[in-house]
Amino acid sequence: MINTAVTTSSAVRLRPILGAASLIALFVAVWMGLLWSPPDAGMGNVVRILYVHVANAWLAYLAFVIVFLASVAYLWTKRPVFDAIAVASAEIGVLFTGLTLVLGSIWARPTWGVWWSWEPRVLTTAVMFAMYVGYLLLRNLSDDLERRATRAAVLGIVLVVDVPIVHLSVTWMNALHQLPSVLRPDLSPTLDPSMLASLVAMTIAFTLLYGYLMATRVDIEQRRNARIMAERA
Amino acid sequence: MTLRRIVLVASREARAERGQPDGLVAAMAFVAALILVESIAVGPIAASQPAVAAALYWIAMAFAAIQATSRSFDRELEDDALDAILALPGGRDALYGGKLLALTTILAIVALVGGALSLVLLSIDIALPGHLALVTIVGVLALPPVIVLDVALALRLRARAALVPILALPVLVPQLVAATNGSAAAVSGDAAGAIGWAGLLIAFALVYSVLGLTIVPTALE
Repeated sequence: MINTAVTTSSAVRLRPILGAASLIALFVAVWMGLLWSPPDAGMGNVVRILYVHVANAWLAYLAFVIVFLASVAYLWTKRPVFDAIAVASAEIGVLFTGLTLVLGSIWARPTWGVWWSWEPRVLTTAVMFAMYVGYLLLRNLSDDLERRATRAAVLGIVLVVDVPIVHLSVTWMNALHQLPSVLRPDLSPTLDPSMLASLVAMTIAFTLLYGYLMATRVDIEQRRNARIMAERA
Repeated sequence: MTLRRIVLVASREARAERGQPDGLVAAMAFVAALILVESIAVGPIAASQPAVAAALYWIAMAFAAIQATSRSFDRELEDDALDAILALPGGRDALYGGKLLALTTILAIVALVGGALSLVLLSIDIALPGHLALVTIVGVLALPPVIVLDVALALRLRARAALVPILALPVLVPQLVAATNGSAAAVSGDAAGAIGWAGLLIAFALVYSVLGLTIVPTALE
């Protein structure tokens, strides 16, 4: 039987610190992105959308890789905390993938002249979004906690195949979307230093926010599972 | 040992289909109806374009494969045979492989019928028949690993009929793109394109088969 005992984990204890750190980091990153960094020579001020867009996309990758790692860990150990981590990360990943698509669309309108383009990076990201919506649906249709966790873990491992496809789609297929500016094969970013600094600041802020959201959501999931088990007992 | 069990599960499936071929017949009828309806919907001139004809064919194949796999597992549930297979020593490990082998065989027959129907209905001239056969064979190998996996994950869940396409279709996008482009390339005479897409299909077939054989047994109940 699945063990759903709730303990105060170090992540939960770290939550106020993560919350405060992400708030400060977001404030600094917004200041750098909106005021400190210069406008782009070609795109003008529209470039500022990219700081949030790229940070969102990074979080989406991170969240789905964490789903994969937590899924492997769950199947290996059968510890429910890993299932809670997987579902928390999947939900946050779906949220940030959706935001990536919306922000990309807002950026594409003044840059490409269209809200939506049928180009590989956009399409593979939309497919990744649909995959993880399916992952959450699979979880919601299953009542038994242990079976739900096992099924979701298997799917969480299978779906990670799409993450490198999304990232490398612009390299494999010629398209409108620009090539990676930071996570490049030769590890040499192509951005202006001030823009790179703003992007890094926003990415750090979003990563801290991810940590805060994860700590909160994992705690909620563990409490929810404990309540379900208590009701059934 | 596991290979022998996989062959046993697959041959059991083949015997069931031979006795009551509702899965195969339904899949063939489904693929024929879908190709016909899709071709009418887009119009015969557009439907006979290599890229469009190939896309219609592979979409029909994906849905037929989902239907045939769901039917296969439904039969096990109706007969209460699934629990018996899972209870056998090594049965859990062999079930995914056996179903995969059986569905691939069924899909190969459906591909042949559906392909012939597409070629006849749409009067398509094939520039490179050997390359088209290669792409079709590897396409048939690339679809079942994902579909059997998703049907197995959705087993005994409510709303399974809706859930399986939602889970499978996004994962199948690269395979459908590769199979469509590879088939269109073979029909149009682009040998290098057909070989390239066939290679991608083989890669996807291998990745998902290995993943399925490794982790799906843990999710089977």
